[in-house]
Amino acid sequence: MLQEADIGVGISGVEGMQAVMSSDYAIAQFRFLERLLLVHGHWCYRRISMMICYFFYKNLTFGFTLFWYEAYASFSGRPAYNDWYMSCYNVFFTSLPVIALGVFDQDVSARLCLKYPLLYQEGVQNILFSWPRILGWMSNGVLSAIIIFFFTTNSIFNQAFRKDGHAVDYEVLGVAMYSSVVWAVNCQMALSINYFTWIQHFFIWGSIALWYIFLVVYGSLPPTFSTTAYKVLVEACAPSILYWLTTLLVVVSTLLPYFLYRAFQTRFRPMYHDLIQRQRLEGSETEISSQTEVSSELPAQVEIKMQHLKANLRQRNQ
Amino acid sequence: MPGSDSTAHKSKSRRPKYSQFSQQELPAFKLILTPGYVISTFIVVGLIFVPIGLISLFASETVVEIVDRYDNECIPKDFRDNRVEFIKNKQTNKSCTRTFTVPKQMKSPIFIYYQLENFYQNHRRYVKSRSDKQLQSKKNAAHIRECKPMGETDNKDPIIPCGLIAWSLFNDTYGFSVKGKDLKVNKRDIAWGSDKNYKFGADVFPKNFQVGDVGGKSLNSSIPLSEQEDLIVWMRTAALSTFRKLYGKIEDDLQANDVITVVIENNYNTYDFKGTKSLVLSTTSWIGGKNDFLGVTFITIGGICLFLAITFILLYVIKPRPLGDPSYLSWNRNSTPTPGR
Repeated sequence: MLQEADIGVGISGVEGMQAVMSSDYAIAQFRFLERLLLVHGHWCYRRISMMICYFFYKNLTFGFTLFWYEAYASFSGRPAYNDWYMSCYNVFFTSLPVIALGVFDQDVSARLCLKYPLLYQEGVQNILFSWPRILGWMSNGVLSAIIIFFFTTNSIFNQAFRKDGHAVDYEVLGVAMYSSVVWAVNCQMALSINYFTWIQHFFIWGSIALWYIFLVVYGSLPPTFSTTAYKVLVEACAPSILYWLTTLLVVVSTLLPYFLYRAFQTRFRPMYHDLIQRQRLEGSETEISSQTEVSSELPAQVEIKMQHLKANLRQRNQ
Repeated sequence: MPGSDSTAHKSKSRRPKYSQFSQQELPAFKLILTPGYVISTFIVVGLIFVPIGLISLFASETVVEIVDRYDNECIPKDFRDNRVEFIKNKQTNKSCTRTFTVPKQMKSPIFIYYQLENFYQNHRRYVKSRSDKQLQSKKNAAHIRECKPMGETDNKDPIIPCGLIAWSLFNDTYGFSVKGKDLKVNKRDIAWGSDKNYKFGADVFPKNFQVGDVGGKSLNSSIPLSEQEDLIVWMRTAALSTFRKLYGKIEDDLQANDVITVVIENNYNTYDFKGTKSLVLSTTSWIGGKNDFLGVTFITIGGICLFLAITFILLYVIKPRPLGDPSYLSWNRNSTPTPGR
């Protein structure tokens, strides 16, 4: 039965380890099953679905800037960035925040997960990984790439980009666009998760810092290795105020649509976990001061949402 | 079973050691988008962006820029139908005189650029056609693999510097004079320091350059590559098909309404591929050259954020959504009442 099921949970104990060996998950006591499902099951579902959507988003943002650039390079196949920037994108500059999301993110604390078991229905009804959501994230990626490319190329066009009169060239535009991509993608992560421990802070801001450190280190290698990146940050870009201002403009403009969407969504069409978070936030003083359970009278909105989820469940069972 | 004996006597627990990390209870900041946060974020962004935009726009407006497209006018009338023929003919007189007036006072240094359009210096095949090793040191003179077909002469003698980028070096020249007095153009320090010091060797001299089919400027073979600043500037390929490259600097001030006369040697062939050539004189500010886009966009985004902040404030004030008011929920408006639990 354990092997036939989608998920088999075995309990290790006095009856031997046979169940444990043929199961997907093993727990020590039967009462741990509640936590396994309601806390870890819910968290895992949310983490994995968010991670996949975010992965599409960040690679679309990066890849589409390359496509737009090709239109301006007569489709000859010249990449907008130095080869090593592109190789290190998914390895160094954007991988750690995704790991932090996939391993550590929590939308609602463990205690509240147990208190509102209906939250588990979000996974059963596949609310967080529906097609509208996936396509929404993908179009966010495409839109971000459009904003990044056109804002960068129009700000840093063909004029001098510094006081000493040097004109823009391929290296500078590549670094400017890539910096905007790395910033935008990591700050988007900061906007999407709502659980910040020191790990998330370290990974997100550390990835951005790692990009600049990489530029300095790679740029100091001899030109036979670093080709177009030789001293590009230290000599060309960092002293240019236009470069930093462009990064600021592009990053904020890229994040604005998503921020607007989230502001509307959490207020006017909140999801179940949004409601629980708000309720926890607004009732937080009473919860901390009294160690006992808060009254089980749920706010009306939570009740309505629960009824909605139950109705869905009933419909599916029919 | 041994376990049950020990639990009776020693109450040995198998519970794993507690740590905040393994139990996922690290102290955390939970970001929740309450109305307060949303509105204050929009206001902060708006209040930062609009001043930055105004300052950038102002800086861009203080830059004085003169752009003069000359590739059409500098063809004599008899050759207007036959430009390619004109430019390739070595006998025709390529000198051309242009005049323009300075609109506002231009403080030195005034930068001279040549601007090319529809010239794809970012084409992959073009960009590959160079040999960085050869440019760097004399001992790599035979490294011409990537430069083909512009790598060696018919006698299999390597061309230094090889490749299409060097071969197509821009060769128009400009001579400036104002009020009858020649303006001195400083052609030093126009290339990046890292290029001059590291990428282009001081022991590499041009050899066999522009023999055969001439594509652009010839180089003086007694000057090492690290001092051939025009070549260095040209070989730092541009990003887009419209680009400017630094030609030189004028270290005198120019007053408003001065009439500048430029004598142009119209040598470079952009007529084959419908490219354009322009001469640009520009001052710079702390933000660089003249480009209003950044300032305008900052102001626009800042304005949009402030507008959104006001919209959200109005929405929250006019259509308050107390936590317990369910009648606005869409599924409540036209759904049948659900049966009680």
